[in-house]
Amino acid sequence: MTLVSQTIETREQNLPLRFLKTYPMEIILAGLVLFLILMAPGFASTAHILNVLRTVAMLGIIAFGMTAVIISGEIDLSVGAGVALAGCIVAWFTDAYTDAIGGWNAVILGFAVALTVGFSLGYLTGRFRQWFNVPTFITTLALFAALRGVANLITGGFPLSTFPAGFDFLGGGYLFGIPFPVYIFALTFAAMHFLMKYTSFGREVYAVGGNMEAARLSGIDIWKVKALTLGLTGALTAISGTLIASQIGAGTGTTATGMELDVIAAVIIGGTSLFGGKGRIWGTLIGVLFLGCISNGMTLMNVSEYWQYVVRGGIILGAVLLNQVLERVR
Amino acid sequence: MTYSQPRTDAAQGRLEFLSVTKRYGPTVALSEFTHDFAPGRVHALMGKNGSGKSTLIKLLAGVTEPTSGTISVNGRDQTFTSPHDAFDAGIVTVHQELSLVPELSVGENIFLGRLPHVRRAGLRVVDWKGLHRRATELLSDMGLSIDSRQPVSALSVGQQQVVEIVKAMSFNPSILLLDEPTSALASKEVKQLFALIERLRVRGVTMIYITHRMSELFEIADTCTVIRDGHYIGAVEMRATSPSEIVGMMFGDAARTTRPPRQTIDRVKPLLEVRGLTRAGHFNDVSFDLYRGEILGIAGLLGSGRTELMRAIFGADRTDAGTVHFAGRSMTGATPSQMRAAGLGYTPENRKEVGLVQSLPTADNLCMASLGPIARNGLISRRREQPHIDRQIADLHIKCGDPELPVSSLSGGNQQKVVIGKWLNTAPSVMFFDEPSRGVDVQAKRQIFDIIWQKASDGLASIFVSTELEEVLEVADRILVMHHGNVVAEVDPTRTDLTQLYGLCMEGASQ
Repeated sequence: MTLVSQTIETREQNLPLRFLKTYPMEIILAGLVLFLILMAPGFASTAHILNVLRTVAMLGIIAFGMTAVIISGEIDLSVGAGVALAGCIVAWFTDAYTDAIGGWNAVILGFAVALTVGFSLGYLTGRFRQWFNVPTFITTLALFAALRGVANLITGGFPLSTFPAGFDFLGGGYLFGIPFPVYIFALTFAAMHFLMKYTSFGREVYAVGGNMEAARLSGIDIWKVKALTLGLTGALTAISGTLIASQIGAGTGTTATGMELDVIAAVIIGGTSLFGGKGRIWGTLIGVLFLGCISNGMTLMNVSEYWQYVVRGGIILGAVLLNQVLERVR
Repeated sequence: MTYSQPRTDAAQGRLEFLSVTKRYGPTVALSEFTHDFAPGRVHALMGKNGSGKSTLIKLLAGVTEPTSGTISVNGRDQTFTSPHDAFDAGIVTVHQELSLVPELSVGENIFLGRLPHVRRAGLRVVDWKGLHRRATELLSDMGLSIDSRQPVSALSVGQQQVVEIVKAMSFNPSILLLDEPTSALASKEVKQLFALIERLRVRGVTMIYITHRMSELFEIADTCTVIRDGHYIGAVEMRATSPSEIVGMMFGDAARTTRPPRQTIDRVKPLLEVRGLTRAGHFNDVSFDLYRGEILGIAGLLGSGRTELMRAIFGADRTDAGTVHFAGRSMTGATPSQMRAAGLGYTPENRKEVGLVQSLPTADNLCMASLGPIARNGLISRRREQPHIDRQIADLHIKCGDPELPVSSLSGGNQQKVVIGKWLNTAPSVMFFDEPSRGVDVQAKRQIFDIIWQKASDGLASIFVSTELEEVLEVADRILVMHHGNVVAEVDPTRTDLTQLYGLCMEGASQ
């Protein structure tokens, strides 16, 4: 982790100041949680905090993949629509094949298809950039529009909700007192953290995002790296989409509207640079928790929905400014 | 800037330097330079890379200020604090890189930033008719038949260069600086450019002309001023000099520096065979062999195609024809990652832009090309990488303090060593060194050459490219000379001197 280097760099400065510069978002998040515990009615209960975690889990699973995509110097705007599509695919397969192969088998089949579709769309987005020089911003913007349409075409515009008994456990159930999606969230965090830090693939993602040409001349297959990060995010989107379908008990084309913005916001708040080459999975974890606490806290404190949007916008801008300023003083 | 206020008259165009010195920190780029550039003549300015030529140009263009000394224009002492000041004094520079906007029309480019306006219905609007009329006047005045309304992108590079000069002349300068205006031109376009320069000379414009092409000097210049290591060496009348005198002035008594004795190379089975390799517009029909333990130098001026050739062999750019065999295996059309896997390495000439990932630590950069072999089952950790990092830092004497800090914090020489170390970590059998000594201090340069020699004695085959011909003569065992994309000669460095090599590089096979 680059924390090591930052600590060495700021060795001469006094301890509290160094701490402040190294962990700015961690400190702000801690402050926010403390504030909410004291001020927001009902925030400081285990049940409630677990609920917040469940909500952010869906978003966070994708955000970890998005972090890799953004570090590699690309972007994916289609994840919200991808969530809807995945949910609809799972629901459609369950609806169509339950009689033939049984409810859970149909769910598994649908999930496998959703996973394949998610991965392939992401992977091809990366290859599109290579073959036709179409920026991923454009390709995923097109997917953002198209996938929601496809999701609605699959369901015929109505929520599909034929699921086997117990399916709702995936998104809404508890295991050892903790919501099931939180396990997936934690698992994704651990896996992505490991991937980015302890595999040669992860190192290559940083190199490609930091300087594409230098990476290419170092013999790194830059397009494969980019396509795989996008494919990975597509697959994570399918997982999140399945969990959300389970939680709401239906596959619909209107799920997760605007989710891509929250996902990207969480990554940015976590300190990942949109220019590529810089960022950490840990930072994204902080960003995801921060966004979850803010929106939940505002709801608890009866802040109007409109103000919530304004605050969210301010936070994104503020986080980027904070990072820029810190970059300079470090 | 108002349009077309004539500043030139017959008495103008005199440019004098009086003990002008420019220091960058401890480096003296220009030292006590004193010279009087007589008005109305074409002055060639010659000097090898790093001689202080570009510093002189920067001073005149107002990009940088002298540390001491005075520059006087038309008898008046001047201090240029910005390009604007130089402009106001009547000095206009045409830089090597074109500064035209391709999508805009020729006329618009000429008057960019000072478009003429008229009042129409109370609104101030661009006077397109007037603009193109004036542009056409200017163009025909220079003897050019270029349509002022067509976009610049529709012109050839030569025509664009000419438009650039017309644009410069629209400011009516008394002194015109031309920085390698022919470097990108075909010979027919050079003729057109020379006709324009001739026309300007007749008008009494003082011109300072920088070029690397010796033949051009004798064709277009009146005098030649030579600068070496920041010092004024002398000025000669072109009528009364010879190419070898000018080369002698440029290089001085360039004493051959020490190198380990050359080894006998077993030239039986080539490690790398290149046959008829062609990339249209960059190099044609290049063939050569490279043997184990050999250092093959490629000499050539900027734009001769040396870098393009190496990039193409390495797979960084595509080729149009020809074959590459590596250890007997066909590698034609391979990608950089396949080349790396086969045992080939390439340190690019511009290490800052494409050699390193500046945002990442030195440690990460050192392992970047060898992640596969270092990792076990795709897993990697600092503990695994550490021996590879430490070994290169020790062997190459990389001064980096903490290898976990971004590589951008290192000096140029040390960054270059990191690029080399990155490749040595892949245990290559062939290395391409493209300008490994550029922007590197003397001591680091010696160290880099020592590394290359030492690796060669261990059996590494390498290609060494440098703009500094002395270095090519010193480092290489055998030298290929490239000129306009063709290999024009193969020379033995022990039987060639600098003047001969320089002549070959400039004139191709004709000399």
